[in-house]
Amino acid sequence: MGTRLEVVLDNDLAELERLAGAVDDFVDAAGLPPEVAFKLNLCFDELITNTVTYGYPDGGRHAIRVRLEAEGREIRAEVEDDAAAFDPFTEAPPPDLDSDVDTRRVGGLGVYLVQRSVDRATYRRDGGRNLVHLALAVPP
Amino acid sequence: MNITEEQTGGVAVLKPSGRIDSATAGEFEKRLVAAVDAGNRVVVDMAQLGYISSAGLRALLVAAKKARPAGGRIALAAMAPPIREVFDLSGFSSLFEIYPDGPAAVAALAA
Repeated sequence: MGTRLEVVLDNDLAELERLAGAVDDFVDAAGLPPEVAFKLNLCFDELITNTVTYGYPDGGRHAIRVRLEAEGREIRAEVEDDAAAFDPFTEAPPPDLDSDVDTRRVGGLGVYLVQRSVDRATYRRDGGRNLVHLALAVPP
Repeated sequence: MNITEEQTGGVAVLKPSGRIDSATAGEFEKRLVAAVDAGNRVVVDMAQLGYISSAGLRALLVAAKKARPAGGRIALAAMAPPIREVFDLSGFSSLFEIYPDGPAAVAALAA
């Protein structure tokens, strides 16, 4: 039997803390280790921060939906918003992972961390919404 | 997120607790830059830090860019394993001196 969670957030970075608490509880209820909560929270944080920062050029209050599902050690997550069309996995800048302090840039780092944290990260656009899908198998 | 600050032998030790995410990274950056500007060698003791995102890494990079020309040093200490992994994945581990605990970092910077 799986564990499910859906959280609806305002497009406001202050909402990330509330989401993190819900994810922590979800991971605990699913009997999974806390490092999994860290990974999921990192992914949601990085994706949602980009959406909130860049996705609403006309401003306004918008809902962002996060859905999480665990079946045993398999986790699936989806982040849905109605922000401007943006595929983080093809449109974000490539990360700079080895320049020195003076020349290092941080653009694209968040999306890179998402891709390195999960097994599969995909994007689609559907009905005026961005949908990011994440899949992660937790090793025993 | 709370940040306590102590001075030990000419080294400023900042100890953030809780989460450094995109909502709290601005405050973290402000405190870090202030410590660097004050001419200190700075230790960031992460023993009470449960989470950091790329916004926190950006704040550290901003501070490091300020510290370098002034001959300052920033050392990081007591990272929890998932936080260390973020630093390793992003290549940030090679930008900073990293120590297992606060006292070791202070000793290295005070020497």
